[in-house]
Parts: sequence; C-alpha cells; structure tokens
Amino acid sequence: MTRLERRYRAMLRFYPAGYRDAHGDELLDVLLETAEPGRTLPAARECAGLVAGGVQARVRANTRTNPWWDGLHLGLTAIMVAQAAAFLPYTGSVPIWTALSLAALLAVLRGHHLIALPLVALTGVKAFTISDGQQFFELTLLPVYPDLLTDQPLFRSTTPFAVSATYVLVAVGLIALASRRAGHVRSGWWLALVPALAWMGPEWMDRDLGYPLSLSRLILEAALLGAGVWAGYLARDPRWALGGALYLVAVSTEMAQHLSDLTGQHLGYWGLLGFMTFAAAAVPYRQRRHALD
Amino acid sequence: MFSDMPRGTDEVSEPMYFVLTALLDGPLHGHAIMKVVTGLSGGRVKPSVGTLYGILERLSDRGVIVVDREEVVNGRGRRYFRISDTGRALLEAEARRMMEAASLVMNRKFA
Repeated sequence: MTRLERRYRAMLRFYPAGYRDAHGDELLDVLLETAEPGRTLPAARECAGLVAGGVQARVRANTRTNPWWDGLHLGLTAIMVAQAAAFLPYTGSVPIWTALSLAALLAVLRGHHLIALPLVALTGVKAFTISDGQQFFELTLLPVYPDLLTDQPLFRSTTPFAVSATYVLVAVGLIALASRRAGHVRSGWWLALVPALAWMGPEWMDRDLGYPLSLSRLILEAALLGAGVWAGYLARDPRWALGGALYLVAVSTEMAQHLSDLTGQHLGYWGLLGFMTFAAAAVPYRQRRHALD
Repeated sequence: MFSDMPRGTDEVSEPMYFVLTALLDGPLHGHAIMKVVTGLSGGRVKPSVGTLYGILERLSDRGVIVVDREEVVNGRGRRYFRISDTGRALLEAEARRMMEAASLVMNRKFA
C-alpha cells in the first residue's frame, strides 16, 4: 500500500462505515487513478470533496428511517444526556444514580427503550426527591456537593417541578417509541457529551444567581443545534428540528421556573436556542434552486 | 412523474446536467464519468471524487440514474451507472428549456 493510498483511506473515514464497506474501494480506485504520478499527499480539493461527501453521506444515512419517530428519539437522547450530566459531578455521593442514569442513556442509544424506561423512572423519582429535599431508596445527605466539573450543589438552581417534568416527558416518549418496537440506534459518541454538558465552564454568569448557566453549555448546545440546522438543510428533513424542539421544551420548562431571575444573558441564551430550533424547522422547506437539490 | 422534485424550479444544476449528459451514450463507471464530464465542459466542470460520488448517490436516490452492473477490477468493486427513463426525460426538458432561453437572445442578435 502506497503512502497516498494510506492517506486517502484515512480520509475515507469521513464516510459512514456502511458506505465505506460497500463503496470505499471504488472511491479509492478513482482517487488513485486521477492522482498525478509521484504524488504522496492527497490533493487539497480532493480532501475537501471527501470531507463534504462523507458528511453528506452520513446525513443521508440518517434519513432512512421515519423522521418523526427518529426526531423523537433524537430529542429524548439529548434530554437524557442533560439528565445524566446533572448527576455526573456528584458521582462520589450518588454513584448508583449516576450509573443508572448513564445506563438508561446507553439503553436508549442502543434502541432498548423498554430497558431504559424503569431506569428513567427510578432516577426520575430520585432526582425529584433530592430537588424537593426528600429521601428515596437510600439515605442521601442533602445538599449533595460536587466532586468535579462544577461548584454548585445538586439541583440547587432547579425546581422539583422542572426536574420531574423532563423525566415525565422522557418516560412518555420512551413508551411511545417502545410501542412501535422499532429500535433507533445512535452513536456512542453521545456519551462523550455528558461530561462536556456537566462542566460549569469558564466564568460567564454570576454563580450566585438563582439560575446560573455555563458558557460551555451554551457553546455545546449551539454547536449541536447548528449541526442540526446544517443537516436539515442538506437532507431537507425535519428530524433534527423535532429533536431540537423537544430539547427546547425541556430547557424552557426550566427557564419558566426562573422568570423573575432571568438576566439579559439568560434571555440571549433562550433566544439563541429558540432561533436555531426555528431555523432547523424552516430550512428543510426552503425553495429549491434546482430540481434535484 | 418527479414526485420528489420541482418545487419552484425544474432546473438541473450544471454538474448534474453534465453527469446525465455523459451517461446518454451508455453506462459508465465513476472515473469514466469524470473524464467525459471534464471533456464535455471543456475542463470547466471538474468535480472532485467526493463531489462526483455525492452527485451520483443523489441522482441514484432520486431514480434519475440506476446501477447497470458491478465489476471487480484490480480487486476493487466498480459500479457502472445508467441514466433511467426519468433521468432522460428530465435532461431533455432541461435542454429544451436552455435552448428556448438561448433562442431569446440568439434570434434577436441575428434577426
């Protein structure tokens, strides 16, 4: 294998595994046949084409299923990442509940909705009781202080209603998905978002505010919604908008509990998520420039 | 006929137009399509391999082209693409549209 072939093979990793297995060699054949003799580095325009083509193939591969059910699964996944992220910094104090929350997320990522459902119910009850200052299943010393990633006690800046509302939303969604018996599978990379979302991040808001938001969370959510807008644009598909809208419902439930405490930064954050969700919903229905766009 | 098509336009993008034109004379594989497209356009349209296969996959998804056959050359699979009846009709409609648009200018210029 030449150096050029090895490098083009590495570039082909931008394509989904299924496409790579089926057509990777075919693309490689054309890439090598069109390369100038003696070339060892891939041409820049070919690299750009492979990156764009690979991302488009990934987007296309994600649009084979029903967009509404898959959008529901996407939205539930995003909310469950946030729920697991809420427990993660407190793993030393509530290890069982962090583990159960991550297990529920993993089950949903693998499409096992009926397995996830009792795990969500258990962690939901525990989350509600902690936020309400009560006990459930095991004695938990309240407030629960973090070990890492944040300096805020568990559920300090939320209300029992907001906590339970998101768990009820997830449980209802899981029942709906389970009733279809169609397993939706998502990448394990979603698990990597849990610590990223849990991180309080660089100083942005006054931590003594009733409802402080982290800059890292804002950037992560905006980046994910931005990717959703782009995917919706490419595929003319509403699933990313639906996923974003469900996540926005969860965020808005939380924000609505703190209406009197909201600052301009909060409103900017809320407005940005709302605008990006709207954009994701609008772009699939944009005017076609060409018949086959 | 084109269930997933024109909403506001029936134009075909230039790279797709040349790809479909390249297939009018019979099935071709990716590398051959690239060479014919470059030749037909006088070197003006020269898609990268990633872009070309993105176009081929999209045309295939819409039923405008179909895979005619697959061959193995040097141990690697190679698909030959063929234009479908739908694709031929779409291409002819686009050619007619461009011809009518061009005649608006050419008839006035040489009248």
